[in-house]
Amino acid sequence: MSMHVFQLFINGHSLNSIEAVDTLLKICRENLKGNYQLEIIDIQKDPDKAEEAGIIAIPTLIRMEPAPVNRIIGALNVRSRVLAGLGISSMHK
Amino acid sequence: MNLQKLETGNASFDHISHGGLPLGRTTLVAGSSGSAKTLFGAQFLALGIQLFDQPGVFVTFEEQVDDIRKHLRSFHWDIDTWEQEGKWIFVDAAPKEEIIIAVGDFDLSAFRIRLERAIMKCKAQRVVIDSIGSIFTQFHEEEHSIRRELIQVALTLSRLGATSIITAERLEEYGKITRFGVEEFLTDNVVILRNVLHNEKRRRTIEILKFRGSDHEKGENPFTINPEKAIVIIPLSAMILKHTSSNERVTSGIPALDKMIDGGFYKGSINLVSGAIGAGKTLLVANFINGIRENKERCLLMAFEESNEQLYRNASGWGIDFKELEDLGLLKVICVYPEISSLEDHFINIQEIVKTFKPDRIAIDSLSALSRTSSDKGFREFIIAFTAYLKHEEITGLFTSNTPLLAGGTSDTEGNISPITDSIILLRYVEMSGEMQRSIAVLKMRGSKHDSSIRKFTISDEGANIGKHFEGISGILTGNPMLIKLE
Repeated sequence: MSMHVFQLFINGHSLNSIEAVDTLLKICRENLKGNYQLEIIDIQKDPDKAEEAGIIAIPTLIRMEPAPVNRIIGALNVRSRVLAGLGISSMHK
Repeated sequence: MNLQKLETGNASFDHISHGGLPLGRTTLVAGSSGSAKTLFGAQFLALGIQLFDQPGVFVTFEEQVDDIRKHLRSFHWDIDTWEQEGKWIFVDAAPKEEIIIAVGDFDLSAFRIRLERAIMKCKAQRVVIDSIGSIFTQFHEEEHSIRRELIQVALTLSRLGATSIITAERLEEYGKITRFGVEEFLTDNVVILRNVLHNEKRRRTIEILKFRGSDHEKGENPFTINPEKAIVIIPLSAMILKHTSSNERVTSGIPALDKMIDGGFYKGSINLVSGAIGAGKTLLVANFINGIRENKERCLLMAFEESNEQLYRNASGWGIDFKELEDLGLLKVICVYPEISSLEDHFINIQEIVKTFKPDRIAIDSLSALSRTSSDKGFREFIIAFTAYLKHEEITGLFTSNTPLLAGGTSDTEGNISPITDSIILLRYVEMSGEMQRSIAVLKMRGSKHDSSIRKFTISDEGANIGKHFEGISGILTGNPMLIKLE
C-alpha cells in the first residue's frame, strides 16, 4: 500500500477543527497502519501556508499523495465518505 | 444628513453618485455575465492607486489571478509595479483544478483571516470581492453555510472600515437583483450594471438602485468601455438644463439665409438641416464651415458619409476651400464610418477632440448615418447628452438629417432630435411642370422671428442661391405641390 501524505488546515480549537483532527487521526491509525505523513496547520499561527495553498474553508484536508491531489472540506464526520474521498478502501482495516 | 462618500476617481461615476461610493461601507455591484462587473471593481482599485495613492485588495472567487493581471494590463494599469510596491494585493480564492468534496460542517474563517491580513498588510482603503456568486457554485451543496459565512465576511469588512465593492451575478437584466439572493444581507448600497441586447444592438447601462442615507441620480445611464479610460458613463439623468443662451449671432455662411433667420444662428444653438438626398444639405454644411472665415472661428466637421477627398472636391466645386481653412488651423475634418464604434464611443471621441481643438462650431453630416449604429432609445439619449454638452461648451452646431422621401416627409431621426433643436431648416424637392426644383424653408427658429416663406433654392458653381418664394403653390411640404390660381 502506497504512502499517504496529508495536510490538514484548522482554525485553533474550533469545533469543526477538533472533530476533523480526531476523525483523521483515527483513519490514519486504523486504516493506514502508520503508513502516512500528516501535517496539521493552524491558520492562526501559520497564515502564509493557508495563503499559499489558497485555503478558503476550514477545515480543509489536502491529500498530496498519492496523486492526484484532492481536497475534502468540512468536519469529516462521516467516516465512510472521507475514506471514499481519499480513495482508501475500508478493506485495509 | 448625508452619507460621506469616497471619490472613486471615475469622474462620470462620481457625478451620477453625487460624490462616489459610501465611505467605509460595502456596495453590491450586480450584473449579468459580461456586464463589466470585474472591470468596474478593478477600475475602482486602479484609480484609487493612480489618483489618491489608496492601496487596494482584490479578491477573486472566479477568474484566475493571471487572467485578471492580463486584463488589467490591457488598460495600461501598471499592475506589476503596484503589486511589487504592495499597493495592490490579490487574494486568490478562485477555483482550483483539484476536486473538492464536502464532508460535514465548515466555515470560511480561513478566507476571512486571509482577507483581513491582506487589508492590514497594505493598509487597504479599497476592497473588491469578485464575484460572490461563484462561491456558491464552488460549494454548491452547502448554500446555507455559505450564506451564514458571507454575513461574517460582510461584518469583517465593515469592522475594518474599507470602502468595498462586492460583485454578484444576475441571471436576467430585469428581475431579481442577484442570483443567490446576496442582496438579502448586502442591502444598503446596490449598483446594477446591464448589457441589454435590443434589435441586434448592445446597450450598456449603469443604475444606482440605492445608497442608503444618501442621494444619487436615479435610473439607467448608458456607459461604454473605452480602451483608454475603461468604464465611462454618459450621465443623462444628471444633466442640467441650464445653459447660458447668447444673443450673439453667427453667420450661416449664406447671406440670404442669414436674412431668412433674422441675422444668423444664435451662438451656441443647435440647428438641424433636413432634406432628401441631393437636396443641398452638405452644401449648407460647407457654407456653415466657410462662415468661420469672418471672425476666425474654429470648426470641427464630423463626416459620416463621405471621405475627405470627396468633401474637399465637392466644396471646391462650390468655391469653398477646405484645404486652406485646414492649413490655417481653423478647420478639422474627421471622416469615419459610423459603424466603427458605438454611439457612446463616438460621443467620448468627439468630447476628446473638442477638448484639444476647442472649436466654436461643430457640423455633423449626417446624423442619420450615425443613428444606424444604435437603437432608437440609445440614439435619443445620445442626442440629448450631445446637445446638452455642446450647449454647455457654447458650441454652435449644425446637423443634417436625411428624409427617406424625395418630396415632403420627415424621418425618424428628426422625430428624435427636432424638439431639442433651436432651428430647423427644410430642404425639399418640388416637382413642378416636369422639373425637380429645390426649395428652402425655415420651420422654426427659437427666440427669433424668421421668414415663413418657402423659397426657391438653386445650386450653381458659385454655391447656394436663395431666390423668391414659391408664389401661388401649395402642398410643397406634403409632397403634392399644386398651382393655385390667384384671384
